Amino acid sequence: EIKPEDFDEIGNDFLLELVENDVAYSVAEEIINTLKNTIIGKRVPKNSDIKESIKEALVDFIKKNIPEPDLDIIEAIKNKQAKEKKPFIIIFMGINGVGKTTSIAKLANYIKKNGMTPLIVAADTFRAGSQEQLQVHADRLGVPIIRAKYNSDPASIAFDGIAYAEKKNIPVVLIDTAGRMHVDRDLINELKKIIDVVGYDLRLLVIDALSGNDSVEQAIAYEKNVGYEGFFLTKSDADTKGGVALSISVETKKPIYFLGTGQNYDDIVPFNKEWLIKTLLGEK
Amino acid sequence: MSNIFSGIKEAIKKFLSSTSPYEQSVEEFIRELQRILIKSDVNVKVVFEFTSKIRKRALEEKPPQGVSRRDWFIKIVYEELISLLGGEEELNVLPKKKPYVIMLVGVQGSGKTTTAAKLAWYYKNRGYRVGLIAADTFRAGAYEQLKQLAEKVGVEFWGDKGLNDPAEISRKGLEYHLSKKAEIIIIDTAGRHGYGEESKLIDEMKAIADAVKPDEVILVLDASIGQKAYDLAKKFHEATPIGSIIITKLDGTAKGGGAISAIAATGAKVKFVGTGEKVDEIEPFRPKNFASRILGM
Ligand SMILES: Nc1nc2c(ncn2[C@@H]2O[C@H](COP(=O)(O)OP(=O)(O)OP(=O)(O)O)[C@@H](O)[C@H]2O)c(=O)[nH]1
Ligand SMILES: Nc1nc2c(ncn2[C@@H]2O[C@H](COP(=O)(O)OP(=O)(O)OP(=O)(O)O)[C@@H](O)[C@H]2O)c(=O)[nH]1
Ligand SMILES: [K+]
Ligand SMILES: [Mg+2]
Ligand SMILES: [Mg+2]
Repeated sequence: EIKPEDFDEIGNDFLLELVENDVAYSVAEEIINTLKNTIIGKRVPKNSDIKESIKEALVDFIKKNIPEPDLDIIEAIKNKQAKEKKPFIIIFMGINGVGKTTSIAKLANYIKKNGMTPLIVAADTFRAGSQEQLQVHADRLGVPIIRAKYNSDPASIAFDGIAYAEKKNIPVVLIDTAGRMHVDRDLINELKKIIDVVGYDLRLLVIDALSGNDSVEQAIAYEKNVGYEGFFLTKSDADTKGGVALSISVETKKPIYFLGTGQNYDDIVPFNKEWLIKTLLGEK
Repeated sequence: MSNIFSGIKEAIKKFLSSTSPYEQSVEEFIRELQRILIKSDVNVKVVFEFTSKIRKRALEEKPPQGVSRRDWFIKIVYEELISLLGGEEELNVLPKKKPYVIMLVGVQGSGKTTTAAKLAWYYKNRGYRVGLIAADTFRAGAYEQLKQLAEKVGVEFWGDKGLNDPAEISRKGLEYHLSKKAEIIIIDTAGRHGYGEESKLIDEMKAIADAVKPDEVILVLDASIGQKAYDLAKKFHEATPIGSIIITKLDGTAKGGGAISAIAATGAKVKFVGTGEKVDEIEPFRPKNFASRILGM
């Protein structure tokens, strides 16, 4: 039988291991406490490794608690077309430099490969070069784009984009927005206005897999101040160990839709728990 | 000293007034300090090395006459913390010679291009003639981004969209700016992390450095970066020795502990911090302010 005192030291080492893999400290503590409760009192063969039991408990925990998307984007787009004849609206948001614009290009490519043409709306009217950046992607991918003038109102360009898509029967619209710190009230209000004006089917918060404890701050603040359905986790190719994926899903109970796994258009992978278990705990 | 410690005032009060044995109080204090630093994204190994240094000094050093052991311990923590940040002094941020060539490197999206423009703004306003070079041939719109920023700041810009070798661009850009009598030349490079398939991008970075022999390579680091900061900074440092560090996006909620990891990995110091998206949102690094931020949980 595993006793609390057997658990504590190994549990603490395991907590540090999680933290070294960029699980946010608060989330790692929460997970360890949960695992402790499931493990203590459990009968295990003599001399068996408590750490192995903790790992197994974590795998169970992930299987039970980590959400996966409950909709297939391609199906959802088709359904909306069939039922309403209206474009499926996906809005990308997140703090500066996490990979919103690149991820839009990847998703546009993914949708194209599934036989549909998306419209891209360049509603980042602030960052230098943002319009040209998205134009290059649209040209290379051969998808239509609605551009804006720098410093113009992003909500009104998003509105124009939706109107264009409706007129042209384009089934899905991907809206790029400027990077915004979750604590910048004016910029967050501007984002809310965009969303109010055009509506949405899916709002994706883009989070950088290289980030540390702040990933959770971003996820919480965006949830409280804006709202979103799930995540796009970028830069997962940077030898990251899945800690950010675990943190944001445990903290918000919202699913990760896609992983960004490189800088090319094909570097996009639908998320699943098996990936997380493998990345976080090695082969299992 | 009190200013730095504002965030851990309670822990210090507890330490100073505790009736437990000294060794035990030290251990408790250290545990709390470890937790705070790790939560601020300082690399776990760096944190443990740091605290074992503190522990060693705490147990070995004899305080001078008239100073209590506990007060002395707090002084040790202060000193070690400041040394972890690369010292108490603010760096001289002005170039040691003219012309001075700066190359910015860093992970994708860390803020290199924006920081290139910010540096140009900063030095232009201090009377230097600055030139920018767009050597990111990969990122869509990178050329336009830097060009638009150069126009906003009002400095010379060099780039060539017809070329796709960043080393060649950098060499030609350098020639161009030198012919225009630039005193500070700043090269913006593409983002990279260098793991897996990106290892060739590390060679590209070396090739740029070989072509222009920069006076200073600056690592641009996002304040939100987590545990990987150490490993990444080390990788970069081995390829092109890092002269200094700039932390960006300190206007968010990230504490920026990754910078401490990068200091530990490279021995370089932090020179500037970025506090917003606009070109004037840059400030010289102030170690004491930064320490309070890290500790101010
Ligand atoms: N290695 C890697 N790089 C990525 C990934 N996703 C995006 N990037 C890179 O990250 C950098 C920033 O990407 P952007 O798409 O411009 O980020 P953004 O969030 O739109 O940035 P802002 O609009 O300025 O806030 C670019 O250099 C991208 O190539 C990824 O999955 N892996
Ligand atoms: N809030 C805030 N945003 C910043 C800061 N510095 C840069 N940014 C933003 O971060 C995003 C990425 O900046 P870039 O300068 O494009 O980053 P980069 O490192 O050149 O990106 P790549 O070339 O793709 O690797 C942009 O939206 C910038 O406006 C800062 O100090 N604060
Ligand atoms: K980032
Ligand atoms: Mg963008
Ligand atoms: Mg750049």
